[in-house]
Amino acid sequence: MRDEALGVAILGAAHTGHAWAYARALTQSPHARVVGLHDPEPEHGRWIHEDFGIPLADDADALLGDPSVGAVLVCSANAEHRAHVELAASHGRHVLCEKPVATSIEDAEAMVAACKATGVQLHVAFPSRFLPLVRRARAAVGEGRLGQVIGLVGGNRGRPPLPPSYPDWITDPVAAGGGALIDHSVHVTDVMRHVSGLEVTEVSAEAGSLLWDREVDDAAVVLLRFGNGAVGSIDPSWSVPADHPWDHDFYLRVVGSEGSLDITDGAAAVRLVSNREGAPRGLREVRVGEDPDLAMIEAFVASVRAGEVQEPCASGEDGVRALEVALAGYRSAAAGSPVQVTAASRAPTGAPAPVRDGTSD
Amino acid sequence: MSDELTVGLLGAGLIAGVHARAYRGCPGVRLVAVADPVPGKAERIAEEHGARVVPDLDGLLAAGVDVVDVCTPPTAHAHAAVTALAAGRHVICEKPLTRTLDEARTVVEAAETAAGLLMVGHVSRFEPDHRAARDLAVAGEVGDVRMVTHTTASALPGWSEGGWAADPAASGGPLLDQAVHSFDYARWVIDSPAVRVHCMAADSGAGPTTYALTTVRYQNGAIAHVECSWAHPPARGFKLGAEIVGTQGRLAWSYDHMMGGVLYPREGDAEWWDVLGEHGFVLELRTFFGAIRAGGSSPVPAQEAMESLRTALAALESARTGSTVDLTTWKPR
Repeated sequence: MRDEALGVAILGAAHTGHAWAYARALTQSPHARVVGLHDPEPEHGRWIHEDFGIPLADDADALLGDPSVGAVLVCSANAEHRAHVELAASHGRHVLCEKPVATSIEDAEAMVAACKATGVQLHVAFPSRFLPLVRRARAAVGEGRLGQVIGLVGGNRGRPPLPPSYPDWITDPVAAGGGALIDHSVHVTDVMRHVSGLEVTEVSAEAGSLLWDREVDDAAVVLLRFGNGAVGSIDPSWSVPADHPWDHDFYLRVVGSEGSLDITDGAAAVRLVSNREGAPRGLREVRVGEDPDLAMIEAFVASVRAGEVQEPCASGEDGVRALEVALAGYRSAAAGSPVQVTAASRAPTGAPAPVRDGTSD
Repeated sequence: MSDELTVGLLGAGLIAGVHARAYRGCPGVRLVAVADPVPGKAERIAEEHGARVVPDLDGLLAAGVDVVDVCTPPTAHAHAAVTALAAGRHVICEKPLTRTLDEARTVVEAAETAAGLLMVGHVSRFEPDHRAARDLAVAGEVGDVRMVTHTTASALPGWSEGGWAADPAASGGPLLDQAVHSFDYARWVIDSPAVRVHCMAADSGAGPTTYALTTVRYQNGAIAHVECSWAHPPARGFKLGAEIVGTQGRLAWSYDHMMGGVLYPREGDAEWWDVLGEHGFVLELRTFFGAIRAGGSSPVPAQEAMESLRTALAALESARTGSTVDLTTWKPR
């Protein structure tokens, strides 16, 4: 494998948008080659197959057992991540798993343990870490240019993931584990941890199905307390309507004792109005610059080749930390009171779970 | 009452100066007297606007002003407002209405029975950006309003006499001084009572609880998210950002977008021209004087300002205790 491209299998493409984008990045990377895609639902992988010529595989075990496969991209429904990651681990394949890492801490920790037990890397897909502005923010905070961090405010808002553009499971409370709060807050929590080096100790949240009449929350605000006493908030809402100039945003504001920092990835865009037949109406902001998905894929491939998780990749543990905050947010919103997220309150990790054959669940 | 309305300013600090300029944009209104306990302060405003200096509130009342404009620190609001109302005058009372809810109740009660009108200085309701956004929301442009985000961030204000703003006992910090505008505006736009508040706050070089993040839940299910800060570096200036999200659309603006011009001198700092200017204060005061002349009701009644104050006090309480405050039952200590 040293000199040739890393063979990657795609296991589950239910997260159709991200699966397509990551498949494109894998296709673009000179260091990776997609061996095949397995998803029992043909519609999930249809565009990946048509756009990138990636073969569809009927049998997951056969695909993962292919000797040319060195790593696996898991983009199935959130509740299926555990089974798929454990299956990849049982085949000794390194894993890049779509976020949120799972829908329960138990599942997430089992995934971390399964990968540890078979000696494979578990990465979680947090492409926001690879935004050039986030990298600069991490460096600035790391160099102490803001002094002691006092507050962090971030947001990742997007369009509601509704049919026909999105599969139904994304707004299913069991398959997705929740709505906007779990879907988007994990990106922001992860970037806050990544940039500040701080851990969340307490969460208070408001959340509800306020906009699109789905079974899951589509609007939420999550308040955070960090280990050093700093506070934070996250807006993860699906609050961007159709025909809006941008379809999602990502911003972070940090204030510290010696300075403050504001970043927004929407700055990297050109403005377009098109009257072309069939074009979307009105003003659109078209993103320009580096593709964070490609940067993430390249870093994943480089980590696999190097035999260790490289900066700034997010590990399985990072995925667990972000999930803890989201799940604490749901508990807080339901109870109407804050929820502690401390090391002591975390479920004991215990011994690595036995490797399962992955055909169950 | 003649056509002309005469005004007396109680307090001659920053906001008093802004009001004094705004009266000039109000036809038939004349500033006639200014009082401030600090020597020299009242003189500065009085000279600029052709008013005279009187020693105190009694002096303003004796001068026969129709309207007393209370621009003192909040701890002095209740006494001044109640006294002026009892003397049969109209009252403009700066925000927050008072420092405590007990004080606020005395003002609300006085205003209910007084002959004069009392308006509280929740100027956000009159700022061109905020007002336009609210008018659009009320017109249904974004459907049902479900979420309001409002952020105001600056360094520790340098305008308070003797630094009273930095004394939490006097000012209540940015939650009472700044975020009370946000709570008032969100409540006004969402049009439903607040039922639940949680606030997480941090200390900064500007003092305790000078960086605060608050969520408010409303009876109709809507959510407000309020950030207020005195913890930012002075060079960043005063930044405001706001969003209103509804079932059929989204409204957003920020002060960064409201800078319509910039002048760069060959030497020295750039001069930014914000398009809002002091239009909000002029409209606020004009609206109040119009209500007086029309015999109408207060544009911002004490009762509504008390509700906004209560939300801000609940946020302070939540920040202090770490608990969520249930506003349907909450009684401040």
